[in-house]
Amino acid sequence: MTQSHYKHLRDRWRARHEGLTRKLWNKHRESLDWLSNNYRQLVAGSLGGLMLLTGHGSNPSVSSPYANASEPAVQKIDKKVFLVSDLAKILPSMVRVLTNEEEQRISDILSRAFGLKVAAELGGKRLNRSYGLIGSEQHLVRYPGDTLNTHFDSDKERKSYWQSGMAPGFGAWRYFASSKEALTQLDKDREKYYIAVQTFLSKDFNSRFAEYRDFYKYRKMLVVNPNNGKAIIADIADAGPSEWSGKHLGGSPEVMHYLERFDGSQKGSVLYFFIDDPDDKIKLGPINELS
Amino acid sequence: MKKYFYTHIVDTSSLSLELADMSLDPKERLHLISLINSNIHHEVLDLILSELTPADKKTFLMHLASDNHDKVWRFLNSKIENIEEKIKKTAEDLKKELHKDIKEMLAKS
Repeated sequence: MTQSHYKHLRDRWRARHEGLTRKLWNKHRESLDWLSNNYRQLVAGSLGGLMLLTGHGSNPSVSSPYANASEPAVQKIDKKVFLVSDLAKILPSMVRVLTNEEEQRISDILSRAFGLKVAAELGGKRLNRSYGLIGSEQHLVRYPGDTLNTHFDSDKERKSYWQSGMAPGFGAWRYFASSKEALTQLDKDREKYYIAVQTFLSKDFNSRFAEYRDFYKYRKMLVVNPNNGKAIIADIADAGPSEWSGKHLGGSPEVMHYLERFDGSQKGSVLYFFIDDPDDKIKLGPINELS
Repeated sequence: MKKYFYTHIVDTSSLSLELADMSLDPKERLHLISLINSNIHHEVLDLILSELTPADKKTFLMHLASDNHDKVWRFLNSKIENIEEKIKKTAEDLKKELHKDIKEMLAKS
């Protein structure tokens, strides 16, 4: 059924494309010929703006991945490609606060891509932004006596994340558990996949402090690197960074590693949207499969 | 995907999402998206070239070839009134047609 859908649309849109190409050349042949003769190298190059004007590029079947479907390297196209492409069309070139319309479009795309209900605003509450630069945070103390020596479950984790160090203070909600014995897998995940967001910049934060505090505590958020499509379910466990830092949120060492984001001069942007999960069914951690 | 000088004002995500609903193979969906973009690109180029004098057409195509979006916009804004709105409308009209194609196909199946 879907194969016939594809063929139907492909044939229809290819015919439309051929008609448009003919019309374009019939109406503007002189200018296009001039360009072709004077800028042959550019036209024949990889410039997307003009590729379509050349004979080869005007036939999408030649340049489309489907034309090379028999080649194994091309057969497996990561679904993240679509996500990255869709997001790139909406996101501004500079990292800035998104408009409500942009947020809505992006939340639609993310909800669809990950099979989750995500939104920039939940229950009338929203952060200061949903698109910003992420910096690195340190590990948080999970229970009294937790140190780097007790923090990791395996040598692999220790080797990967030891160097990030332990934050000198508590997270926003203090300890995750009252003791080592009381520490659950959920507590571990909440620390491992935490983010720090600028809760204090929420509108009316000071006058609605208790309401916001309860709302933000371990609130799940979908954090997406728009450049590679990698996404993780994180929880809010700390407040920060400061406004003057030039960063808008922070990620635990594990979050940063998974998203392939770095601090300092290489810092990059992420999207972060609330997850509507009233029954608390969605697990924290990386999302490996797109829906 | 390639960013054209007008990409920021032409949003094709509604079509992309509609294709996503059809459970197409990723390669097929990618191909259809490339056809959508290609169709829009040709319509936009036809719109612009139709509004320019022969000499201005050459200048525009040179800027387009250099892939300098700022130059393209500066030139177009100086030569064509409300060009941004015209590009948006052209793309929207085509998108409606493409949505209609999908709707008609689904109605038949």
